[in-house]
Amino acid sequence: MAASAPAAHPKTASRLRELVSNQTFVLFLVWIAMVVFFTAANHIFFSSDVAGNILADWGPLMLVATAETFVIISGGIDLSVGAITGLSGVVAAFAMQDMTTAGQGATLTLIVGLLVCIGVGLLVGLINSLLINYARLVPFIATLVTLGAGEGLSIVFTGGAPIGGGPPQAISLSVPWLGPFSTPVLVVVAITIVCWLYLHKAKFGRYTYAFGSNSFATRAAGISTKKQITKIYMLSGLLSGLAGMFFYLRLGSGAPTTGAGLELDAIAAVVIGGAALSGGVGRLSGTIMGALILTTVTSGLIIIGVAPNWKQVVVAVLIALAVSIQALRRGEGKAS
Amino acid sequence: MTDALYEVRNISKNYGAVTALDNVSMKVRAGEIVGLVGDNGAGKSTLVKCLSGVHQPSSGEILLDGQERHWRSPHDAIQAGIETLYQESGLAPQLSVGANVFLGREEMKPGILGKLGFLAQKSMDARAHADLERVGIAVPSSNRSIAQLSGGQRQAVAIGRAVAWASKIIILDEPTNHLGARQAGEVLHVMRAARDQGLGVIFISHTLPHVLEVTDRIVVLRLGRVVKDAPTSTFDQESLLGTITGLIAD
Repeated sequence: MAASAPAAHPKTASRLRELVSNQTFVLFLVWIAMVVFFTAANHIFFSSDVAGNILADWGPLMLVATAETFVIISGGIDLSVGAITGLSGVVAAFAMQDMTTAGQGATLTLIVGLLVCIGVGLLVGLINSLLINYARLVPFIATLVTLGAGEGLSIVFTGGAPIGGGPPQAISLSVPWLGPFSTPVLVVVAITIVCWLYLHKAKFGRYTYAFGSNSFATRAAGISTKKQITKIYMLSGLLSGLAGMFFYLRLGSGAPTTGAGLELDAIAAVVIGGAALSGGVGRLSGTIMGALILTTVTSGLIIIGVAPNWKQVVVAVLIALAVSIQALRRGEGKAS
Repeated sequence: MTDALYEVRNISKNYGAVTALDNVSMKVRAGEIVGLVGDNGAGKSTLVKCLSGVHQPSSGEILLDGQERHWRSPHDAIQAGIETLYQESGLAPQLSVGANVFLGREEMKPGILGKLGFLAQKSMDARAHADLERVGIAVPSSNRSIAQLSGGQRQAVAIGRAVAWASKIIILDEPTNHLGARQAGEVLHVMRAARDQGLGVIFISHTLPHVLEVTDRIVVLRLGRVVKDAPTSTFDQESLLGTITGLIAD
């Protein structure tokens, strides 16, 4: 296919091709186009309020999508991220309700709530890794088990109703103060940067890619793959637990339904971002754009007056496009 | 004959009711290339996996430098200076050449960043390039991913990695498979260079001309047993083939 191209400036051409084949860059262009389109359809879209709303949706999605990025690059999948989000929010809500009733201060109560979310997340992540490493379940089944158990427990604990009665200051933490950015969103940005560094610049990320790329080679190189799996699924649990706290701060309560279906949005963000479910491929920058595009579509469709259920259709089309572009590109690369 | 660098004595390996290795003994000396041949299912791959620590033999002894060793994992064997090139690819295709050469022994950044787990990628890329060149392998660029290389180049990287890291033993399972004549010649050249450095080399192959060309001694496996262990000079292609298939009596 290269022969027919008039190679006037080969260097510029190859650089251009590199840029166009950069998933993150293409997604950035798509996102810009979406912003322009929604703004043209309704100028209210281009405002700090709407941006704040999109970011408040983006925050928890980005946390679980980051988790899913590590897991998918390792060749696995974590279906339990949404269930962990819901369960950790609910358990933390009970703890914070008790502390508030007992007259504890808001700061201490929120810190305990945060720690409970982290603890629940790490615990479920640990269970996932034990099921994979020792019960020999494939990640899909292991995390399907904890998805079901987690969602079930959330409903059993709450009877289906949201749990409030925590410190009233919780919600005020979610108010944007730096332009459209609230404190929780800024924390998510910081976590994303740290995760990017660990995925792309550190040993932890290197082993994650290696395991997803060739698990036999990774083991043969003397790397403990069980340890790596444990770390990846516990990180996934931790980030999902943080998403539970994010939702609590936004809603002022912990509801069992909070994380329902979140795993599918997370997987969608990762796949749109260019990761392959077969493992070894993907960039966190792609996931960032994938999550941003998903949340932008949601707000945009509402603002231009399209029924929100159309979001699913738009997301479906985006996934199909993103994945088929990758597949086509791979075929082109082979050029046999 | 006690000068063996690496030796297995009477090892057996059973998978349930199936006996893959039956009382196998073999050794390799420093500065020696030993060929390990046998038909499909003769137990070559199982023996390789016992030698490299992937599997633990059901019974028998493994000795390195005359000392009995027990490999709990490939990590143990690697630590002891035994490098293995597996028939299944031992490379991670999506990682770069440099990342593959250093897989499992990454160099960390100096100071606090290294303690936090960050990699010294540039230094690893440069060293990978130098290491591969040292063992006589020319690879375009350390930061290319393995998937972008040709089959011959991939094999060269895998062999280069093994030779660069091995301090005692290097085990090569079918390293010339799927290679053209020139590339196979380069692989044989690298093996000789490793031998001349004083490494013990174990070469597993179906390509009998290669085995006859490069080895000092040949061990023939059939149905999980060693049926012949003799200097290469005592074989020709026909007698070797006969021993492998069992047409020539032991």
